[in-house]
Amino acid sequence: MTARPPTLREKRRYLLVHIVPAGYIPDPKELSLTVHDAVTVLWGDAMASLVHPSVVAVENGCAIVRCRRGMERELAIALSTVTSCGNQRIALRTSAVSGTIESLRERIEPVHTTTEPLSGEPAEYTINGCLFSVCHCAGQKVDVIEKGFKNTTRFFLTREDLEDQ
Amino acid sequence: MMMMITDACVYPSPMGDSSVRRMALEARELGFDSLVAIDAGISEYAGVSVMSGVQIRHTSVQEILSRIKCQKGRDAVVMVEAGDSGFNRAILTMRGVHILCGVHKTDRYGFDHIAAKMAADHRIAIDISLAPVIHGRGVLRQRALDRYLDIARLYRKFEFPLVLSTHARSVLEMRSVREISALASLVGLDIMDIEQALGNAGRLCTPERAVRVIQ
Repeated sequence: MTARPPTLREKRRYLLVHIVPAGYIPDPKELSLTVHDAVTVLWGDAMASLVHPSVVAVENGCAIVRCRRGMERELAIALSTVTSCGNQRIALRTSAVSGTIESLRERIEPVHTTTEPLSGEPAEYTINGCLFSVCHCAGQKVDVIEKGFKNTTRFFLTREDLEDQ
Repeated sequence: MMMMITDACVYPSPMGDSSVRRMALEARELGFDSLVAIDAGISEYAGVSVMSGVQIRHTSVQEILSRIKCQKGRDAVVMVEAGDSGFNRAILTMRGVHILCGVHKTDRYGFDHIAAKMAADHRIAIDISLAPVIHGRGVLRQRALDRYLDIARLYRKFEFPLVLSTHARSVLEMRSVREISALASLVGLDIMDIEQALGNAGRLCTPERAVRVIQ
């Protein structure tokens, strides 16, 4: 099979999407199914075939999602209706649109995270009598998870919230 | 007056899984100047103004009147959950109510042209919650979109204030200004209407007054 010449190829657009919560890396296949589902549920099968969404890459807390040129708005709206991927609650926040993957890769910022919110402080806190461990920390933002076998709910706090405890 | 882009309703901890400070931090990154947080304990964080909100739901008109009296002088945004047609008309004449929310849950006659006129006369805002559009699937979402299309039609005729909200219980449920604008365009609002709606919540607590001479 010979590749089509560039002038006959379909024009595509690529969306840079930030995956929230930070630190969660979804399975690309599962994310692809989630995106397809969101587009189909919101716009229907006929429109979904026109949008032609596809997850190209998942890296550094971001995903690059491809669509047909002219369908960026429809894809971005559908992405904002994504609330979970598998069993994990997520949000996909579109931050840039481009005609090439390379230019989007340049926009991906390296993630600086830690699990120690305050230097010299333990990574575990007691809030309202329950023990929480810090699972992600970036700038003022601190994510904690209640310690236990069953409860794995993530709570979204700030450094000041922890200092108040 | 400078327009404050506001998310008209979020539920911080203990109703949700995020603290009000974290929601304010997130709101700033998402492009908001302020947010209305139900039972918020702070007024500002990270440059984002946090308006305290009070949501009154599933109760009688008398009960609502007494709860509004309690809120006098507290500068809280009072939101009342919509009910049937008679209830909504009673609410839309009350002083002290700022927002009528949950209109998408009512039937078509719950908010009709008479209620729309009353909302316009008393400057009570109608809340367009994007939660059913974001989280709903199938019939639930279609019904919400249908109700919002009807509200948008009435809005164009009567020009009552509209507000846009995410009703987020988590930072994961918050959406950026751009995303909210795109989602609101699904219900037939144009960019001018959306801008107006995003700025309305900020105006509710600080209504325009006559010019005063300060010496």
